[in-house]
Amino acid sequence: MTNRLALLLPKRGEWQLALPLALFFILFFIAPLLLLVVISFYNDQLMTTAGTGQYISFFSDGLNLTVLWETLLLGVKATALSLFMGYPLAWFAARAKGRTQAFFLFVVVLPILTSVVVRTFAWVVILGRQGLINKTLMALGLASEPVRLLFSELGVVIVLAQVQMPLMVLPLMTTLQRIDPNFADASNALGAGAWRTFFKVTLPLSMPGIIAGCILVYAACVTAFVTHTLIGGVRLLYMPLFIFQQAMDLQNWPFAAAISVVFMISVLLIIALLVMLSRSSRAQIYG
Amino acid sequence: MSKKGMNRREVMGAGAALAALSALPFDAHSAEKLVAATFGGTWSEVHRKFLAPAFKKRTGAALTQAVMLATQQIAKLTAAKGGTPPFDVAILDEGPALNAIKLGLIEEYNPAKSPNFGKLLKPFQDKWGPSVTMQCIGIAYNPNKIKTPPTSWEDLWDPKYKGRVGITSLASTLGMAFLADINRLAGGNESSMDPAFKKLKTLLPNLAAVSANFGAHAGLFAQGEVDIGVQNFNFTQTLKSKGVPVEFVRVSSGTPAWRTSMHVVRNTGVSDLAHTYIDTHLTADLQTALQQEPYNVIPTNGGVPLCCLVKSQIAEKPSDLQKMVFFDWTKINAGRPDWTNAFNRQIRV
Amino acid sequence: MNHSFDIDRASFRFVFFAIAAVCVFFLMFPSVIILILSFTGEETLRFPPPSWSMRWYTALLDATELQDALVLSFKVAVIATVSSVLLGVAAALGIARSNSGWARFLDMIFMSPLILPALAFGFAVLMMFSLLGYRPSLWTLSVGHTVVVVPFVLRTTLASLTQLDPAMLESSRSLGAGEIYTFRRITLPLISRGVMAGAFIAFMASFDNVPVSLFLQDARTQVLPIYLWDIINNQLDSRAASASGVLIILTIVLMVVMERLSGVSKFMR
Repeated sequence: MTNRLALLLPKRGEWQLALPLALFFILFFIAPLLLLVVISFYNDQLMTTAGTGQYISFFSDGLNLTVLWETLLLGVKATALSLFMGYPLAWFAARAKGRTQAFFLFVVVLPILTSVVVRTFAWVVILGRQGLINKTLMALGLASEPVRLLFSELGVVIVLAQVQMPLMVLPLMTTLQRIDPNFADASNALGAGAWRTFFKVTLPLSMPGIIAGCILVYAACVTAFVTHTLIGGVRLLYMPLFIFQQAMDLQNWPFAAAISVVFMISVLLIIALLVMLSRSSRAQIYG
Repeated sequence: MSKKGMNRREVMGAGAALAALSALPFDAHSAEKLVAATFGGTWSEVHRKFLAPAFKKRTGAALTQAVMLATQQIAKLTAAKGGTPPFDVAILDEGPALNAIKLGLIEEYNPAKSPNFGKLLKPFQDKWGPSVTMQCIGIAYNPNKIKTPPTSWEDLWDPKYKGRVGITSLASTLGMAFLADINRLAGGNESSMDPAFKKLKTLLPNLAAVSANFGAHAGLFAQGEVDIGVQNFNFTQTLKSKGVPVEFVRVSSGTPAWRTSMHVVRNTGVSDLAHTYIDTHLTADLQTALQQEPYNVIPTNGGVPLCCLVKSQIAEKPSDLQKMVFFDWTKINAGRPDWTNAFNRQIRV
Repeated sequence: MNHSFDIDRASFRFVFFAIAAVCVFFLMFPSVIILILSFTGEETLRFPPPSWSMRWYTALLDATELQDALVLSFKVAVIATVSSVLLGVAAALGIARSNSGWARFLDMIFMSPLILPALAFGFAVLMMFSLLGYRPSLWTLSVGHTVVVVPFVLRTTLASLTQLDPAMLESSRSLGAGEIYTFRRITLPLISRGVMAGAFIAFMASFDNVPVSLFLQDARTQVLPIYLWDIINNQLDSRAASASGVLIILTIVLMVVMERLSGVSKFMR
């Protein structure tokens, strides 16, 4: 489609239109990030001597690496839960028509548009020792004591999955809608049951959507400062709070910059991995 | 071209107009404006309820009160040093106050601009800013869940309180004072917190939560997340008045206390207004109102007799206030950043 | 033969339906809880509320800091959205027409704020402005927000452009219309819905933004999400619930309006 467009429209001056944004990005996106890297190479808080001191001190301390690892792992867990719960919803929403689909879209889009602080705050009340979930569990006799959900990793995973769920459902919906129904019909006609068709046909075909959703959700989950701190509390230390504490509470900019750089690179590496997965899965299907 | 929906030109035009309008300063009045820092929890409540109206009545100026821990105020003032500060009046506990003076973040307090300064009891008249109150800490507990009142810090370590104890991080003075006190009781002094960290390690299994600030900490009591914990005398009473089941007890080993003072920030453009704001906090009227239940703020104005809960639970007469446990905040300030890092690491689950 | 098909198909549908239903509940449940809680008569948030009242909504009328934060959030969102539309639409036009490696590269760069940790970016911008001597203000906030919301405008505009039927442009040209005229009268109106959808999403994203605002604002310029964050973290009363309730209702209203006006939902990827 883009090719046809390119052929039909005059080429004169088209790339120049992207210049203003490019300039804006150089000034206000690239420059700050470069500055971040530069500042991370100061050995002391007052920024007088240069060196790799901050990186050495980050990597030599097992506890720092644990914080990084646990943050990255948290993202994986929350993304997995989000995928597991979001896929069926996307499946139904993609098949729905008219009013039903409008309803699904409303349910999915409304959370993204509501403030993340508001949505996470609601969970604080729900997950507490005397919150809704515990009250229900105790009333149903499923628990004799309140279950620790607030200030626990389980709570953080649950809330993250819910808060970021729309980012998973929307790309999935788009991809599922585009899958030619002939494939599923052919599979059924050849004798495969519903489950088999799903795992062998639908799922692989929807890979691009799955990967797209996972990328968006993962990126959001690992940097979800509000959710981490409101639900996880101060005892569960993840990278965003760690960076914030060092940068704002302790005013140690070089160290905070170094952790930020390490964090960004880690997240980018994981996302690059997912993108490569997506390319290879597409190659598998389309040959 | 669809007729329904807005014409794109119109949208662009409206958008540009909105943006232009938005860029104009949105002051309904050109009166002076003061931005004052306040603490969370009870503090922001009494400041909003009493101090703000009294100040506005006195000066007619616009007022914004922003909640910040003392340590956060120092951080923000340091970051903005040299330029216009992000707020005009700072409220600081003893430790951060000493830091602020050392870093040159506040200006000397001018008694000439503050008629009520002279009415304070002598120990509270400091040349860098008057003390508006003293704060003291002890144990707060839920009497519905805990039948025998605790008597000392040791009670927090009681195994029957597993997963029910709440403390705050070292970012708030509440947390720092607690650490300093268990340090003192373990035989240490303000040069090193090692004895305290050793003791703290054994408390970890009992912890329900560590809060980043005392406002959140009080909230945990309110939500029933925490049944017993370190708490400030004032906040406990405020919680109680909101219907939360909670009682305060002083610990037998002595009540740690510190002064809280207000300061005029250096380079603020509204020094006179700032002085008036602080002065309003020193008036007998305001301090009497603040001393009533459920706020129970200890007064520093000599003309305000001790009464009510402050008298019955804390001090019969002003000289009693001197009998509490005090710390060397200069030494504590020196070690605080390292201890903060160590604390954050130790409390990790 | 048919038998096994039915059970298999039924179990598949059942499992999927069950998970989807739980998911829908999961998505709506917290907002509903907060709405209910905002009508509590108590000072603390316990569910179910022991008593009911509108007092926390009326308390909002006195909350000048809240109103200031709301106004500031609105201003920043408007500035960020307008900037994003101007810069983003131009960039989309520039990229869509070209198939070169440059275009792909630029596309990736312009989209990257969506996946880079916004917190780290906010911190980086704070440092840059601070070292240059600029204090947190409406403008620093707007700049930071523009960077993080322009990808939305770019995305929807690009999607719109690729759906553009080249036949329309061809016929316009064959009828003698000049390039700029074609652009103004044909292209722009046809992508207007996509642009508006992007602008709407950008506006909401800026309005709700936390990670960038956390660093780029201060006591004098506080935005709404941070203000809410503060009252949730620091204070004991239930105004957080009623403020949240207002926001939820506002969002629902806005969504319905935008859906009617431009069918926003079609453009959500």
